[in-house]
Amino acid sequence: MTEETILEVRDLCTHFRTDEGLVKAVDGVSFTLNDGETLGIVGESGSGKSVTNLSILRLLPQPPAIHSGGQILYRGRNILNMNESELRDIRGNKISMIFQDPMTSLNPYMRITHQIEETLMLHQGLPQKQAAEKAVELLAQVGIPDPRVRARQYPHQFSGGMRQRVMIAMALSCRPDILIADEPTTALDVTIQAQILDLIRELTRELGTSVILITHDLGVVAGICDNVAVMYAGRIVEYGPVEEIFARPQHPYTQGLLRSVPRLDLEPGEGRLYSIPGAPPSLVDLPEGCYFQPRCEHALPVCSRRYPPEFKTLGRRSACWLHHPEAERG
Amino acid sequence: MTPPTQDTAVAGKSLSRKAIDRFLKNKMAVIGMVVVVLYALVAILAPVLPLYGYEEQVLDHQYLPPSLTQTGGELLLAKKTSEFESLARSQNRPLSAEELAQLKALKHTIANDPKHQRRYLLGTDYLGRDMLSRIIYGGQISMVLGLVGALTSILIGLLVGSIAGYFGGRLDAFLMRSVDILYSLPYMLLVIIFMAVFGKNILNLVFALAGVSWLTEARVVRGLVMSLKNSEFIEAARSIGASPFRILFRHILPNALNVVIVFTTLRIPTFILMEAFLSFLGLGVSAPMASWGSLIQDAVGGMTLYPWRLMFPALAMVIFLFSMNFFGDGLREAFDPHSEKSI
Amino acid sequence: MIRCNVLAYVLRRIVGMVPTLFIIVTLSFFIIRLAPGSPFSSERNLPPSVIANLEKKVHLDEPLPLQYLRYLGDVLRGDLGYSTKHVDFTINEFIARALPVSMTLGALALVLALSVGITVGVVSALKRNSLMDHSLMALAILGISVPMFVIGPLLQLLFSVHLGWLPTAGWLSSRAGGLTLILPVLTLAVTDFAYIARLTRTSVLEVLRSDYIRTARAKGLSQRAIIWKHTLRGAMLPVVSFLGPAFANIVTGSVVVESIFDIPGMGRFFVNSALNRDYFMIMATVIVYAVILVIANLIADLVYAALDPRVVYE
Repeated sequence: MTEETILEVRDLCTHFRTDEGLVKAVDGVSFTLNDGETLGIVGESGSGKSVTNLSILRLLPQPPAIHSGGQILYRGRNILNMNESELRDIRGNKISMIFQDPMTSLNPYMRITHQIEETLMLHQGLPQKQAAEKAVELLAQVGIPDPRVRARQYPHQFSGGMRQRVMIAMALSCRPDILIADEPTTALDVTIQAQILDLIRELTRELGTSVILITHDLGVVAGICDNVAVMYAGRIVEYGPVEEIFARPQHPYTQGLLRSVPRLDLEPGEGRLYSIPGAPPSLVDLPEGCYFQPRCEHALPVCSRRYPPEFKTLGRRSACWLHHPEAERG
Repeated sequence: MTPPTQDTAVAGKSLSRKAIDRFLKNKMAVIGMVVVVLYALVAILAPVLPLYGYEEQVLDHQYLPPSLTQTGGELLLAKKTSEFESLARSQNRPLSAEELAQLKALKHTIANDPKHQRRYLLGTDYLGRDMLSRIIYGGQISMVLGLVGALTSILIGLLVGSIAGYFGGRLDAFLMRSVDILYSLPYMLLVIIFMAVFGKNILNLVFALAGVSWLTEARVVRGLVMSLKNSEFIEAARSIGASPFRILFRHILPNALNVVIVFTTLRIPTFILMEAFLSFLGLGVSAPMASWGSLIQDAVGGMTLYPWRLMFPALAMVIFLFSMNFFGDGLREAFDPHSEKSI
Repeated sequence: MIRCNVLAYVLRRIVGMVPTLFIIVTLSFFIIRLAPGSPFSSERNLPPSVIANLEKKVHLDEPLPLQYLRYLGDVLRGDLGYSTKHVDFTINEFIARALPVSMTLGALALVLALSVGITVGVVSALKRNSLMDHSLMALAILGISVPMFVIGPLLQLLFSVHLGWLPTAGWLSSRAGGLTLILPVLTLAVTDFAYIARLTRTSVLEVLRSDYIRTARAKGLSQRAIIWKHTLRGAMLPVVSFLGPAFANIVTGSVVVESIFDIPGMGRFFVNSALNRDYFMIMATVIVYAVILVIANLIADLVYAALDPRVVYE
């Protein structure tokens, strides 16, 4: 980690006010992203990984969302304090995003070319004609055959994989510093998934773009990430270099996740190697102490009393009482 | 017959606690509900309330304005006196002896005849009938018609919709195609013709309104039934050999009940409006009965002279419909939170 | 190629109208004829021989099925027959005079309802849960709750009787000219305005929650660009779907509004002819209304297809 840090998230808290109570979707999340780095964020659905990343561009509707604490520093400037126009200058330009469902993320009533041109005209000040040319170029770059014709078409004329390629073209059109990819392959056919990941890796490497990849697929993380953050119930439980964590997972939750690879994405009951017993806690009504403790095989008495601090062990951060020097004695 | 499926049916019937909580949080909806309940109470209790008969005519008391303090006789005397006075003034003379005598005689009859002790809080109509009583009894009829109309059309809709949705295939295609065609008919016009040629009575009215209004209900029910049909507990019932009708009536329809109740509530105002519309054209309920629509129609002709005859029935009707709409909207939002809200 | 598809589609739809119109004609024909009584019975006590003569002239003496077939034939030739009330006056002539009046009234009301309704709905959605939103939506619920036959007389009372700004009744040809339009158009527009405002608000909110709006925000587009370029088109689709029912509301409403404001349009004559059992006149007005509604639905569908690229003309 010798490179320059371009994004630093410090103690981010994003809560939602709902009829059922305050939902602490993200509660004290910290990580850094360096120039050219690919960071994976893994966790079950509802662990707060998407909310964390939507918070980075402040895309959550407020209300009900509240950014109740922390900082998101992009090149030293706190995004949470930016005004609307500073924020717009970053969105799609410096930091861009691709979303989980390519079927619904493109405007169905607009030609593909217009959707790409928009960003170019807005952030790079290109005249419409040049932007249209650039759009065709970008489509060719992301591997869409016959781009000149395809550019004039509407999203419904594209397959899921092709739409995700369009999303990638759009997201990378302004050569952003950071690309946030929120489960970019989850909604796609298995055969297409690898192609899309390869495309993301190839293009971002070419442009020197840093990537935050949100996924629940540990295989994907192993393949392309430098660092990984494991989230559980709105907090990061283990965070560090991918090789270290995959070789020697320290947090019991990470261990459980790794044991259940590669069939993590299956529905319950479809037969798999291992599954962590129990279910994630309700974010309205979190348990005392460690959130994972009710499901943990190694739980100590202290685990049900206080949330564990982060311990620096074996080159990563891990929030678990087992790392405490006195853990052996209980 | 088997306990578990019985349970699901019961669970479908009980309104979910969450929905009720959501509803109670909506202030306008709760106010609407309270007003609707008050209206219903007044309509139900009308026979025991201290009201004059809605058809009782006191011809002397035509067109009396509303008054909280004066009796009908006093208003009549004041009206007569001012009539004579303005006539005398226009002729530049004092009241004649004959006029004074007439007024004195009137005063005498008023003092002695108990009918002149009547009080009209909301004035009287062209036959000297009490407007308050007519508005309450008219409201009774409007509300009952609204309810009966909504219930009848939901029953027809349930029948057609559930058969189409459950059995699917050609039967479904045929029924839904018929609904489509009927939809494109200018059905209010057909109702107008029907009422005009077959004569206005309440049965015809309900028949005509419900006959043309079950289309939306049928579509809604069909959609519901189709989505429930494939759910797991129906699969379960089917696997133990329950007959299609048993599945439909014991398992599917009870689970659709919430939606049906909400939908019926939402439809009541429509029926009240349609009835009022027909009554306004002179094709609804007939005298001496009244509905809000017919009261308004009676009043429109003389509205510049006797505006209270228009204002009060109109106000009564609008407040009710307004509350009913807020109430219905609140119910719908509470039971279908996705329609308005989301995280 | 696309234009060719549209044309074929329109042609197919026009052919598809035939069964609908046929059902309307048949239904109304038999509703009217199955009721007891004759169109001439209410006439000022005519001697029976005269009535028989009159009936013979319009073929009312023939058996019903024959009359039905004869009527279908006449309608197909474009002849809507004679009014039994005014035997010396063809219905075609009458419609030529009354239809433009009703169309003017209806078109103005629809335009008013659409423009104001959409604006109110969009503003409400954008200012969601604000005081403005709540008051506008309360206004819309009021618009749905207050029937036209209450609004009309109240407007007359206020603007004509008390303030004296506008004429109470009449139509363009009268001395007051264009001013006569204002109150009836307002009255006729209220219900549809209310529905459209509510519909627009809901649908704008729904689009604003959609994934592609989130994409647009992630691109850094301004709020204005998001609303104008990304939201409105999709949000208008439900409103366009509502055009058919909206038009039906206007047709039904015109029956009341024309009688309140004494306007010589189709609606007033429709009710009068229904009450007088003016057989051919009722049939004619129903047929004209049905044709208008069916065409309005077709136009609504075409507009929908123009807005939504996913629609295939099939």
